[in-house]
Amino acid sequence: MIGVYLTIGGAMGAVFRYVAGMILSRFQSNVTFPIGMLTVNIIGSLGLGIFFGAVYGGIPAADVSDDPLYVMLAFGFFGAFTTFSTFSMESFHLLEKRQFKTLFSYIGLSVTGAVLCFVIGLKVFQL
Amino acid sequence: MKNFLAVGVGAALGTYLRYFINVQTQFTGYPVGTLIENLMGSLLLGLLSGYFATKKPKEWVKAGLGVGLCGGFTTFSTFAADTIGLYLQENMWLSLCYILITLPGGISLAMAGFLFGQKIGGRTT
Repeated sequence: MIGVYLTIGGAMGAVFRYVAGMILSRFQSNVTFPIGMLTVNIIGSLGLGIFFGAVYGGIPAADVSDDPLYVMLAFGFFGAFTTFSTFSMESFHLLEKRQFKTLFSYIGLSVTGAVLCFVIGLKVFQL
Repeated sequence: MKNFLAVGVGAALGTYLRYFINVQTQFTGYPVGTLIENLMGSLLLGLLSGYFATKKPKEWVKAGLGVGLCGGFTTFSTFAADTIGLYLQENMWLSLCYILITLPGGISLAMAGFLFGQKIGGRTT
C-alpha cells in the first residue's frame, strides 16, 4: 500500500513542479536568476512546515514512515514537488557563466527562504 | 501529454527510491538518507544534462529522467526540515555541517556529472 501512496504523492508533486516551472519561466525571459525553482522550493518547504505543524504539532519522529498521510503528502508530494538536483544544476550553470553575485543570492535565498518558510509554517500552524 | 506522463512515472520511481534509502538509513538517527539522495541525484542530473547537451533527446525522455526521476529522488523541503530538526534536537553545529556538506557537495557533483556526461556524449557521436 505504501507504494501506492508514494506513487500518487510523488507523481503529483513532480507534475505540479513541472507546470509551476513552465508558468514561472515566462517571468524570467530577460533575467538569469532561476526564479522558478527558487519559488517552488520555498513554497514546498512552507507547505511541509504547515503540514508538520498542523498534523503533528512539530517535526514528527522517524517512526511515522508507515503513516499513509505522511508518506503521501509530506514524503511524496512535498518531497517531489521540491527538488535539489535542479538547484545544484542551476547553481553550477551560474558558476560556469561566472555570475557570482546571482549564484550567491540564489543559494542564499534558496536556503534561508526554505528554512525560514518551513519554520514559519511549522510555528503558525502548530496548535 | 506524453511529457506529463513521463514526469509522473519518473517521479514515482524517484520517490520510491528515496523512500527506500530513507528507511534503510533510519537507524543512524541522522538525515544521512536525504544527504545521499540529494548528492547522488545532483550527480545523476549533471550526467544527464551533460549527455543531453551533446545528444538532443526527445522532450519526454528529458522531462521523465530530469524533472521526474532526479526531481522526485531529490528534495529541498526535507532538506529544510532536517536542518531545523538537527538544530532543535542536537546542536547548531550539526545543522550547519549538514548545510555545508549538502550545498557544495551537490553543486560540485552536478559539475562533475555534467563534464563527464559531456565527455561520454561527445565520444560516441
